[in-house]
Amino acid sequence: MSKRLWKVIVVLAGLALLIAACAPAATPTQAPTQPPAEPTQPPAQPTQPPAEPTQPPASGIDCMGAKPGDELTMLYQWSGQEEARLNEILKPLVDACGIVIKPESTRDQALLDTKVQAGTPPDIAFWNVAQLVQYQDKLVPMDVLGAHRENYADFFVQPGTINGKWLGLPVKADIKTIIWYSPAVFKAKGYTVPTTWEELDALVEKMVANGDVPWSMGFESGDATGWTGSDFIQDILLVKQGPQYVLDIIDGKVPYNDAGVKEAYEIYGKWAKDPKYTVGGAQGTLSTGFLDAIYKVFSDPPEAMMVRQSGFAGGEIARKYPDLVYGEDYDFFMVPGAKGLQGGADWMMAFRDTPAVRALVAYLSSDLGGANWAKAGFDLSPNKGATGNYTDPSLLKKGEMLANTQGFTPDIGDTIPGGFGKAEWTGIIEFINGTKDLDTVLAEIARVQAEALGK
Amino acid sequence: MAKEAAYVPNILRQGRWVPWLYLGPALILMSIFILYPGLNTLYLSFRNQNGSDWAYTTCLAGQPCWGIFENYRYALTSSIMRTAFGNNLKWILFMVSGTVLLGLLIATLADRVRYEALAKAIIFMPMAISFVGAGVIWKFVYDYGSSQVQIGLLNALITSLGGRPVSWLTEPQINTLALIVVGIWMWTGFCMTVLSAAIKGVPAELLEAARVDGANEWTVFWQIRVPLILPTIAVVITTMIINVLKIFDIVYVMTGGNYGTEVIANRLYIEMYTSYNTGRAAAIAMVLTVIIIPAIIFNIRRFRAQEAMR
Repeated sequence: MSKRLWKVIVVLAGLALLIAACAPAATPTQAPTQPPAEPTQPPAQPTQPPAEPTQPPASGIDCMGAKPGDELTMLYQWSGQEEARLNEILKPLVDACGIVIKPESTRDQALLDTKVQAGTPPDIAFWNVAQLVQYQDKLVPMDVLGAHRENYADFFVQPGTINGKWLGLPVKADIKTIIWYSPAVFKAKGYTVPTTWEELDALVEKMVANGDVPWSMGFESGDATGWTGSDFIQDILLVKQGPQYVLDIIDGKVPYNDAGVKEAYEIYGKWAKDPKYTVGGAQGTLSTGFLDAIYKVFSDPPEAMMVRQSGFAGGEIARKYPDLVYGEDYDFFMVPGAKGLQGGADWMMAFRDTPAVRALVAYLSSDLGGANWAKAGFDLSPNKGATGNYTDPSLLKKGEMLANTQGFTPDIGDTIPGGFGKAEWTGIIEFINGTKDLDTVLAEIARVQAEALGK
Repeated sequence: MAKEAAYVPNILRQGRWVPWLYLGPALILMSIFILYPGLNTLYLSFRNQNGSDWAYTTCLAGQPCWGIFENYRYALTSSIMRTAFGNNLKWILFMVSGTVLLGLLIATLADRVRYEALAKAIIFMPMAISFVGAGVIWKFVYDYGSSQVQIGLLNALITSLGGRPVSWLTEPQINTLALIVVGIWMWTGFCMTVLSAAIKGVPAELLEAARVDGANEWTVFWQIRVPLILPTIAVVITTMIINVLKIFDIVYVMTGGNYGTEVIANRLYIEMYTSYNTGRAAAIAMVLTVIIIPAIIFNIRRFRAQEAMR
């Protein structure tokens, strides 16, 4: 009898615990059912409870009607230190408006796709330019959200403009059109930094004549193997043809097997396949990891003189060789003669129109947002407000390059949808490996390009 | 008479709907997890890259077009898929024969030594490693350094013997075989275990009788052992064929399908998760399923025949 009673008590206690545990979790889910506040509301909210902090104390942040406690869901690919920097940049906004940011970090695009298809997209996603095309019918245009257009060069607005709608704001950029080298080694061997493509070509030949290997190249990168090759080729296109040509390839106006592309492949192939020009020749290029390729230039003795790699290489060099000093032992120069820059940008896109979203868009696109981005040192900010506000010397130099460029082209392979990027890498690998001749390779990539763009 | 009249609860009687009741849970689970996804895959294989329209809309003017079967044109005739079919054939030929022959050899030899358990445990060990782990391990074995120092085991051996290092994973012709070696290393243990059990099931009297009659060990092996365990060998072979047709992990980790090492399952993954082309991925999945079905049917028939013999 008493045993049964105890059982009942235990079960009841368990149930009570369960209910208690569930209750608090259930309340926040009610928040999103709020109707979006009308955009016409004045920024000041007299009806707010007294807890509200008195309007932005000269912080220069416009809350766009966002109330303390408003939630903002975000999805991005950054993690660790990157995430910490983002939080540093967003802190003034959070402090001024009391927005509660609910971030989610993943590198898995399937998560974004699933969320969008399920009808529960994040308010804001920081993702790639291809998603602007993919979700063009679901995104809220940036001008509707009150983004500061005047802070962005045309070539930063253009890629984010899909079918006449400005859907994406580039928040973070890294430039790829650079070559890393060791000033110390250059000095010891009597090499000078080239300023034109012809000078670069002459320098490469001079190095070969001296018995030095000019380039270090490395393709190996798991299932993304080949991307370092496509980056290099795009830089050659920027030198030989200019940014508009690259954009025309992305649009499909120029087929991938055009003579200009072929020329770039031939220039690249001459270097990448020959052990005199690159460490290990074709097989070295194919089987060397892209990080190892960076290290080879700064090992003692160096295996090669130069490596063409994006801005992130600086961090990798510093990590691998902590004793090396930036500016003395390692430095970079822009690919000489490039008529524009190639770079990757992370794009902010909005799936909902809420005051909190507007506040974020307005803040990040403002002068202050750009300046704060630069101060945090989270790569480069395409926002004009960032110029001159970098503290890191290499970022300052890159920021200078970005501010002075006449064109900015996204990665061709990343931008054309539908498997083009993979086909491009595969083609480059086959070209370097010598398993297919160049015309066949380019025709195959051009076919995928036409399929992907429906032209 | 009296026995038959014993009380049997209604629910245990073979009625019209009772069998369905028993089958119900399995049927529901199979419908949700096999039938529905299967049918949906079939449907998606006739749709475009994101399933929003029929596949013929992806046809380009002036290019060959199979209409609604456009994705199948890709899955069956594109050059990368032809490479994949060729490679899967290589995998079947070399990996199935390699694992089964080695497994049989080791099972037979191990049967005669005192440290049998230890020997078999060592051979079986790779099965306990995840495919991805094995891929990474072997990637180091095959590593090719473009400089003087070779950190890859194989190339270090070759250079220390005075040879020139080989880029195992990027050289066409060699690379697929190099990957197959990894597959054999992983799966020999499985074949060995199953075949060893079958060998132990051969009655000792038969072997004794043959030896008394003057048969040498070679004859005993080929005339008595092998015929007796043939059904098991057949099952092992078909199981391995199914495994090899689905091979993915090793290729994905070690070469990503580059350098001409593409296989069907890896292409499926790339179409789905790199190119975001569900139509093509679904078509490749259907093709792969159709190729595997005969092996499965054969396997089930063999299994039934074996059960009937007991």
